[in-house]
Amino acid sequence: MDRRTFLKKGIGFSALTGANIAGVQLLSPHLLSARQSETIPYDLVAVKGGEPDVMFAKGMEALGGLSTFVKKGQRVVVKPNIGWDVTPERGGNTNPRLVEEIIKQCYQAGAKEVVVFDNTCDNWQRSYSHSGIERAVKDAGGKIVPGNTERYYHPVSVSGAKNLKKTKVHELILESDVFINVPILKSHGSTQLTMAMKNLMGIVWDRGEWHRNDLHQCIADFAPYRKPDLNIMDAYFVMKRNGPRGVSQEDVVTMKSLLISTDMMTIDAAGAKLFGIEPNDIRYLRIAEEQKVGRMSLEGLNIKKISL
Amino acid sequence: MISVHTWRRVRITVSSITLVVVSALFLDITNRIPPSWKAVVTALQFGPALIATISSIGFVVIGLLFVTLLTLLFGRVYCSHLCPLGTLQDIIIWFRKKNYKHRTFPFHKTNYFAHYSITALIILSAVGGNMFLLNLFEPFSNYGRILSSLVRPFVIGMNNIAAMLFTSTSAFGVAEIPLPGVSMWNVALPFLFLLLIIGFTVWRGRLFCNLLCPVGGILGLLSRFSFYKIRIQNEACIDCGLCERVCRAQCIDCAARTIDAAACVGCFDCIGSCPTDGMGYTMQRRSKPGSAHTIKEEQDRRILLLSLSSVLFDSTGLQTIVPPSIPLLSGYSEAKRTPVVPPGGRAQEHYEDHCTACHLCISSCPTHVLQPSFLEYGFAGILQPKMDYNVNYCNYDCTICGEVCPTGAIEKLTLPEKKLVQLGKAVFVKEDCIVEVQKKDCGACSERCPTKAVKLVPFETTLHIPQLENDYCIGCGACEHACPTTPRKAIYVTPNVVHQTAKKREEKRVEPQEATPQEFPF
Repeated sequence: MDRRTFLKKGIGFSALTGANIAGVQLLSPHLLSARQSETIPYDLVAVKGGEPDVMFAKGMEALGGLSTFVKKGQRVVVKPNIGWDVTPERGGNTNPRLVEEIIKQCYQAGAKEVVVFDNTCDNWQRSYSHSGIERAVKDAGGKIVPGNTERYYHPVSVSGAKNLKKTKVHELILESDVFINVPILKSHGSTQLTMAMKNLMGIVWDRGEWHRNDLHQCIADFAPYRKPDLNIMDAYFVMKRNGPRGVSQEDVVTMKSLLISTDMMTIDAAGAKLFGIEPNDIRYLRIAEEQKVGRMSLEGLNIKKISL
Repeated sequence: MISVHTWRRVRITVSSITLVVVSALFLDITNRIPPSWKAVVTALQFGPALIATISSIGFVVIGLLFVTLLTLLFGRVYCSHLCPLGTLQDIIIWFRKKNYKHRTFPFHKTNYFAHYSITALIILSAVGGNMFLLNLFEPFSNYGRILSSLVRPFVIGMNNIAAMLFTSTSAFGVAEIPLPGVSMWNVALPFLFLLLIIGFTVWRGRLFCNLLCPVGGILGLLSRFSFYKIRIQNEACIDCGLCERVCRAQCIDCAARTIDAAACVGCFDCIGSCPTDGMGYTMQRRSKPGSAHTIKEEQDRRILLLSLSSVLFDSTGLQTIVPPSIPLLSGYSEAKRTPVVPPGGRAQEHYEDHCTACHLCISSCPTHVLQPSFLEYGFAGILQPKMDYNVNYCNYDCTICGEVCPTGAIEKLTLPEKKLVQLGKAVFVKEDCIVEVQKKDCGACSERCPTKAVKLVPFETTLHIPQLENDYCIGCGACEHACPTTPRKAIYVTPNVVHQTAKKREEKRVEPQEATPQEFPF
């Protein structure tokens, strides 16, 4: 549904801008997310040794294809990390070839529309352009939308949160039928690693709020608000230090890996291990575990490993 | 033979194109015009091109030579063809003529003493390092400020209304553009100037050009010696007075059948107005020594010398104007009082001495970190742009301001050069930092730092606190902008009065580049 029909459905502008609203809560999260979980054959798919698009295709095949998650006529929002005005080899943003392949497959699965955005750190036009993602989205037939204006973000309340009780979320997240989270695995000064859960910082308006109110706690607080229907973690170019922006290509190694999971905590735990850090050493993961956001332990999970 | 109306038609065409093109530079809200094109356009703007050429010879000199030659050949046609402020006045005159058909601008002897004194004063004070008067009256810069401060916000507003009305995120077409905070003075001063121009124009046509404009003064002097001049042909003149009635520069004296070439802005309306085709735009006839003409020129020279000398004695007074003090944001160090100069500005002094505050850099800056100052640079530097880290920070991979600056106040830097120019240094106030105060991780500053001059180091067992390595700091303001503390930032940039060179961070890789895992560690 587009914003206009969304508005027509009786939520109204005042409600959108007002404090919290039943409408947004209704539409949001829990009813829509994880609805296919019972039919998914694996908790985690890990692919290595291929190009980003090929790894995704192979990984998705194992999960029964993207049509498991995207149904005909649905509107999909794909949220990569486009935070920085750097080129793909710098490992600062999600690999554009991965994003392009995801969008193509969404359309193949019958998606009505695929939209992409991020609330970038560096100037948004330059980040969109130099990351290669703007081009990739357009080539795949998707729409790339700015995340630079407060008007696109609507107030929501986050139930069960300790610190981040209220925030403003981009309307694409609130309106879309399917939410695909596409983080990149990389080092991060204050949180050690940025992965799936941390990537959600790009769907809210005010990141300073998170920094002011205990960053780790806020990341964990916000995670259950709108759990992505699918998480795809790019670990092709991996920034090993000086993250999240990086200083030069010397910071980056080529890992040629990709992780897929419906559970943010599972994929983050796997990402941390892949990077070389124990998930338990990352505070926001520990908090999220306590707040039962998802499953951090990889013990006993059904994991599909693919080597190309 | 060229029709009598051709010159006028050419003038209207050329000036319209110039006006549209120059305006586009300032109204290019989505930054689609390549900076190099902007530089080509502004090279033809006499004021900025002159300043740029004095400070360093670049391709701008071609534009300067072109305008100079043009004036020596054809007179002050620049003022009616290439000067956007001139065209703006012509538009006002056009409206005036539509409404008051009978109130014309009769001949009025140009006060050369006043104009040349003012021009000389402006030039001398600018040469002496005080740009106040030049910036007050330089036409291109004034036009730029009118557009960027008065028109551009309006265009952005229209864009944003369009974005709101016609595009939802589902049918995205127009991106909203943030309207950076509008400062009162930045709007008030160009507005006052606009009122002044409208007032002058309605009252006496191109009076501004023949009284206050420094470019008009210089080109007027040159045009005294131009080859082509508009002349009244005695044998054809029937003393009807029509040419005087249409003249916008008040330079045609019908009674005496003379046209003052130094005041004529070359609009060519008079030629077309003449019922007997009695006006010619012709090569200068060689005047014999002792003729009336040479005596006139001799007088002009004397006036010029007189005014120059009077100015020499007067101009020193200007230098003593003391910049008023700016209230300091409570708690910031004294050093933050002065603004940060954009990369390529070299030093505060160099920058202040060359910037005419045309605001083309402000209009072109993709992050909007460049904002007009008020009195932070002192009176002389009023409205010169500064780096405003409240609005945003300087994009690491961008050199646009230096590419578009028409005066060379912001010099053009290559990207590798720019990345090492240190505009200032960061100051970290630990007592204000979230990590210290709340004992929680934050790291917003370090995240954004493009050179990792702000590193996070272990703090109190599990935390990470910023640590500065200012050798690597380039003063881009990313840390200051991102710092979430209020009301005062715990990390901020203090300017280098003279820009310095930062150290290049060269950390070799510690792990092999190829790192595809043998086995997944889970």
